[in-house]
Amino acid sequence: MEEVVTLKIELPKIPDIELVAIEGLERLARHLEISEEKVGEARLLVAEAIINGLEHGGAENPKVNVEFTMTAKELIIFVRDYGKGFEPSMVEDPDIQKKLGTKNKRGWGLKVMKSMSDDFRIESNQGGTKITIKKLLS
Amino acid sequence: MEQPFTLTSKLRGDCLVIATSGYVNNVGGEAIAKEFTRHFEQDIKHIVINLAESKVVNSIGMSFLLEIIEKLQDVDGKLIFTNLDPAVDKMLAIMGLFTFAGKAPNVEEALKSFP
Repeated sequence: MEEVVTLKIELPKIPDIELVAIEGLERLARHLEISEEKVGEARLLVAEAIINGLEHGGAENPKVNVEFTMTAKELIIFVRDYGKGFEPSMVEDPDIQKKLGTKNKRGWGLKVMKSMSDDFRIESNQGGTKITIKKLLS
Repeated sequence: MEQPFTLTSKLRGDCLVIATSGYVNNVGGEAIAKEFTRHFEQDIKHIVINLAESKVVNSIGMSFLLEIIEKLQDVDGKLIFTNLDPAVDKMLAIMGLFTFAGKAPNVEEALKSFP
């Protein structure tokens, strides 16, 4: 039977806290003997999801809950924040041509997560935002 | 764990070579852009960014590099990334950076592509 390992952590909003989650991810991967190469994109997805959650999480509850569920074949990344939420369909995909020459060069997180993942789901309401990402590892 | 961000730079002829180590977050991205600007003001318009020791980056850090591209466009300059981890390579491609910047397997190869 395929082994499933999970990790659940609550991260406060402090600089570079996403590296703690990435360290946890790498330990799970080593346990399942998943190669470094296959974890590369997963690391970046974790960083994007967490910094997005912490940035939009609001001041009242500045934390995110992170959960990894990993097998040798796939990783599910779940990140929940407690901000005011937003309407994902209203977020325009960034375009580098349009960003050049403007002051705001940020706003790439959702595009990176959607493009780099094998499945990307987002649910958002006034109580916060939940992001679920699937990344195949085999 | 990925190490804190550090940066080294040196001039190779009229080309600036910046090598990073550790996590390129917003602080790291801004530091790269500042280091570039310092040399850009001295008329340097060829730059290589070696990311060999940075396996973890984020899109906020990378968005600072758009400032470099912007400035280089005004003077017909060129930016080349080298030693990219495949995941970082993919992120830069998703962001469209390779529309305006090149990539090379290593610094020596990058330097050959400048006039």
